[in-house]
Amino acid sequence: MLDSYHLQVLERSLDAATLRHRTIANNLANIDTPQFKSQQVIFESFLQDELNARAGNGKLEAYRTNQRHLPFGNAGVAVPQVVSNPNNFIQNSGNDVDLEAETTELAKNQIWYSGLTQLTAGHFQKLRSVIEGGGK
Amino acid sequence: MSLFQGINTSASALTANRLRLDTISSNIANAEVTRANFVDGAWQPYRRKMVELSPQTNGTFDNFLQAAVGTVSGSQGGQGVKVTAIQEDNTPFKRVYDPSHPDADQDGYLLMPNVDPMKEMVDMISASRSYEANVTALNASKAMMLKALEIK
Repeated sequence: MLDSYHLQVLERSLDAATLRHRTIANNLANIDTPQFKSQQVIFESFLQDELNARAGNGKLEAYRTNQRHLPFGNAGVAVPQVVSNPNNFIQNSGNDVDLEAETTELAKNQIWYSGLTQLTAGHFQKLRSVIEGGGK
Repeated sequence: MSLFQGINTSASALTANRLRLDTISSNIANAEVTRANFVDGAWQPYRRKMVELSPQTNGTFDNFLQAAVGTVSGSQGGQGVKVTAIQEDNTPFKRVYDPSHPDADQDGYLLMPNVDPMKEMVDMISASRSYEANVTALNASKAMMLKALEIK
């Protein structure tokens, strides 16, 4: 219960939100740097694949008879990936940071992060109420 | 994974943009200066200065650790921006006919700095907007860290 899968997913999502925030901050910092290529973080789709696979309706997953067998399909945990988008509009300076897109992503990510912190806090709140017997 | 790195990244950009604004101020302030350098017995006018930026890519311990442990795939972003040099603009000086000026040559022509106030104003707006965008990112980092402290 203390180390539940629910909490693990929250923790990894918070990590991914932090990474995304850092990536956006770096893109914004280099908004006037010539030849700079912006980066994006992909995470939610990987997490969704993993959750689907766990629920049993995911993509094909290999059956492993030994722990040392290499995972196949969605057997691993969702890991955030940092990528560059080659289709971004590149300005004359060779820089492809889009100020509007980055600030929008920043705002979205911030809300997502505070939602995750509230869920995490709620998880511990539930644990506390169980420990205290719920009678108070 | 640390949010503090996000703050450092934004701070590096704030410093770089502040330097850009200072350089632009210097260019505008010296737009009429005909005696900036004394070369071979003659005065040279002021030369326009420009800030050269490049991404800061030297990895931190955190980046290497996470790549090794495999908590992130793909190459992680750098740590912001750094100023590599302050370059001088090598475009030719403006020649103005003003024979009464003490720095005019034998033909009565005077060399003036290669500063274009219009260009400086455009650069100034760009630097000031970038500064604002990075302040927004910095405030977001702060808000997120305070949110994380509410987990208890």
